[in-house]
Amino acid sequence: MHAWDFSSVWASTDFLLLGLLNTLRLTGSALLFGVPIGLGLALMRLSPRTWLRLPAYTVIEVFRITPPLIQLFWFFFALPILIQVEMTPYVAATLTFSIQSAAFFAEVFRAGIVSVEKGQWEAGRALGMSPQQLMRRVVLPQAVKRMVPAFLERSIELMKTTTLAATVSYMDLLFQTNEVAQKTFRPLEAFTATALVYFVVIFGASVLVRSLERRLAVSGEGVVH
Amino acid sequence: MAYRWNFQPVFENVDVLLIGAVGTLRLFVTCLVLGLALGLAVGLARYSKSRWLNAPAACFVELFRNTPTLVQILWFYYALPVLLPFEISPLAAAVLGIALNASAFFAEIYRGGIQSIERGQWEGAQALGMSHAQVMRRVVLPQALRRMLPAFTNRGIEIFKMTTLASAVAYVELLQQGKSLASLNFNPIETYTAIAVVFFICLFPLVQATYAIERRLGRSD
Repeated sequence: MHAWDFSSVWASTDFLLLGLLNTLRLTGSALLFGVPIGLGLALMRLSPRTWLRLPAYTVIEVFRITPPLIQLFWFFFALPILIQVEMTPYVAATLTFSIQSAAFFAEVFRAGIVSVEKGQWEAGRALGMSPQQLMRRVVLPQAVKRMVPAFLERSIELMKTTTLAATVSYMDLLFQTNEVAQKTFRPLEAFTATALVYFVVIFGASVLVRSLERRLAVSGEGVVH
Repeated sequence: MAYRWNFQPVFENVDVLLIGAVGTLRLFVTCLVLGLALGLAVGLARYSKSRWLNAPAACFVELFRNTPTLVQILWFYYALPVLLPFEISPLAAAVLGIALNASAFFAEIYRGGIQSIERGQWEGAQALGMSHAQVMRRVVLPQALRRMLPAFTNRGIEIFKMTTLASAVAYVELLQQGKSLASLNFNPIETYTAIAVVFFICLFPLVQATYAIERRLGRSD
């Protein structure tokens, strides 16, 4: 029977904390770029012009359908040769997860925008607003509110996806855990501790999202998925 | 200077990629079947009125839905063998991680589907003298399964994408074979592009089919 001993994992707390910080940093930067790109893609996707709609559709489908790990390998190993730049694990991971989450955010934005009733468009136009003004002043403020839960769920999904960056040696929580496991010969304790940390962070976030969703439902606001 | 693409070495090594494709399919089918079966059991336990069934099932679902799949696979590969008297193969670790993760998601789909059937149908079937198990099998599940179909195909697509994670424990699947080829022939661009295209071609029709099913169900229900 294995005698559990967390002391060596406990001694590496700052090492693991740095990993958690890097995980949050990667999630944050992917969100920072992913959300605006997602909005851009959604607006292009809804445009009546084919030359805007088609590229957006292609990017969205390609990044939603291909596995994120292949995308990451492509950006990390292939892109630097193609455009001759230095690629760090952090840049490759940020690039991959920004575009990948943007593709999913685009669909959330689109569902939110489409969910705003046609009458509101007509009323806005009757008041003499241009399509841009209508989108900015009438449609988006309402759409964004309905998108909040779907948007947060996607962000949680994104945080889980960031673990893939460990495979290209980005020092996230999972990568640091693997190091600790090898150094201390305590893989069971190291991986169990890390799984628990992920669980606490992600479960906490999902509980918040669920209560928010309930509150939105009570206030009579629709939600899109 | 612009890079000159050359897919020749990729085509010459198609047999290596085919071995990987077989590995990917084997992992996918195993995880899908195990995930569906275990998910039904967990979903029914989660729906049960007995605390002894429903509390552990809820814990299982939350635990596996709220931790990253890659962490699960690595846990089964590096951590679990410490507790066991035998080694865990890359395939076993990948199956455990992906199938258990999938079953947690499937369980929620089953539960949602079963709950979506109106109470009146239960009461009607019970009034006809059917037992709980009979109502479930003859009345509720057949209708619920239809409504669950798009969620199932979506999850199936997710599982197919997740099989690439098995390359992290060096299980021989498409991406793992691609990694070897890319480092052997120094052509990561063509190799990873080819693999991405293969995945896209396999999954795009499934995604379109899911949209079609959703539209049709949206009309009829």
